[in-house]
Amino acid sequence: MSGRDFTERDIHMALDGELPGEDRAGYEAWLAANPDMQARRTRYAGDAEALRSAFAGVLDEPVPARLTRAALGEKPVVVERRRPRWWLAAAAALLLAVGGAGGYVAASLGGGSHDDSAQDQLAEEAIAAHVVYAAEKRHAVEVPASDLDHMETWLSNRIGMKLVAPNLSDDGFQLVGGRLLPAGGHRAAMLLYEDAEGNRISLFVTTEPAAHGKGIYAQSGEGPRAVYWLDKGYGCAVVGSLPDNRLSEVAKRAYEQLIAGMIS
Amino acid sequence: MDDRKAAIVSEIPRLRRYARALLRDRDGADDLVQDCLERALTRLDNWQSGESPRRWLFTIMHHLFIDRMRKVSRRGETAMLPLDADEALAAPAEQFGNAASREIFDALQAIGPDRRAALVLVSIEGFSYAEAANILGVPAGTLMSRIARGREELRGLLDDSSRRRAIRIVES
Repeated sequence: MSGRDFTERDIHMALDGELPGEDRAGYEAWLAANPDMQARRTRYAGDAEALRSAFAGVLDEPVPARLTRAALGEKPVVVERRRPRWWLAAAAALLLAVGGAGGYVAASLGGGSHDDSAQDQLAEEAIAAHVVYAAEKRHAVEVPASDLDHMETWLSNRIGMKLVAPNLSDDGFQLVGGRLLPAGGHRAAMLLYEDAEGNRISLFVTTEPAAHGKGIYAQSGEGPRAVYWLDKGYGCAVVGSLPDNRLSEVAKRAYEQLIAGMIS
Repeated sequence: MDDRKAAIVSEIPRLRRYARALLRDRDGADDLVQDCLERALTRLDNWQSGESPRRWLFTIMHHLFIDRMRKVSRRGETAMLPLDADEALAAPAEQFGNAASREIFDALQAIGPDRRAALVLVSIEGFSYAEAANILGVPAGTLMSRIARGREELRGLLDDSSRRRAIRIVES
């Protein structure tokens, strides 16, 4: 047995398998003679076990495909999705209802040349992000509006297009901040706005290479709706639970400023 | 599939666990892993072949994590603060199996990022002191003091949350 003195440091080393074998017996004798240290060892060992078990399940989770693709250096796969027929009727009715207020959304269903699945996907992702994050009080955004320059630079770099946060104060909405999100195989920026009554709307912007189109998308029943555009390599959706005509007005203003910002 | 890429793919579950222990939300953690994998691919030559990619990947991810933490603290956000009790309860339930795990998770988030990383590498990921010090780029003595302080901080935070739980039970 070594004759050295032991300290609390040895408790950590023993727990982490770093205590040399020849010190083991001396360490145990020291613990036995020091109930305080013994109690501390027991407590740390319990915490360490709790820590391991809290995260043990992660190893069994299926690995998201985007991570495997990233490791292999593969391009993201575009998943083909079909839009259910009922959606067309519902969307047509909505477009008729708001056509007068926001003429820019008119007749987007007429041509049939655009990519329906890309539109669905954009709108669904934008709505999902809104549902999750707009409900958060303190963690709704990653970068607050007080750090606007940093947020715009960061998000622009991440999504790969110049993003200038629209000023929607004429509509009563102030910028809360922004965050970066996964969107299909891409990245998306989400900008969150809030009015004086606490109503929140979000602007969802992603780089979407192929599709063209625009319209209003609502998932079944209650809940927020998305006004969206897909064009020239980007996609944008404005999501909120405002009345459709008001949402369309706000969305139009946001859209105009986004376009102006992109070419500024 | 390239052998080296296959070896990297097999490390993804452990990278995800490390990221999840470092960061609060699942998507954010997976973003960190994705950034790490993307960066790793651009630096395959830095990985000495014949060696497990684990330590190399963890080192890359740690650098990304520290960059992110620096940006957060420059922006003066409160990401390091423990959550209020009601917010902790509102955290998505499927992410952490039970209340005990949630308390551990919240406590871990409240520990400073340097100590958190040291504690997680050794206690959860099972790296030796020498390996963890290498990943973090600090001397072994620094690593040991981060672990000791991290454990002590964790103990205090867990005590706080069990006290809060006791108060909630009494009140209800």
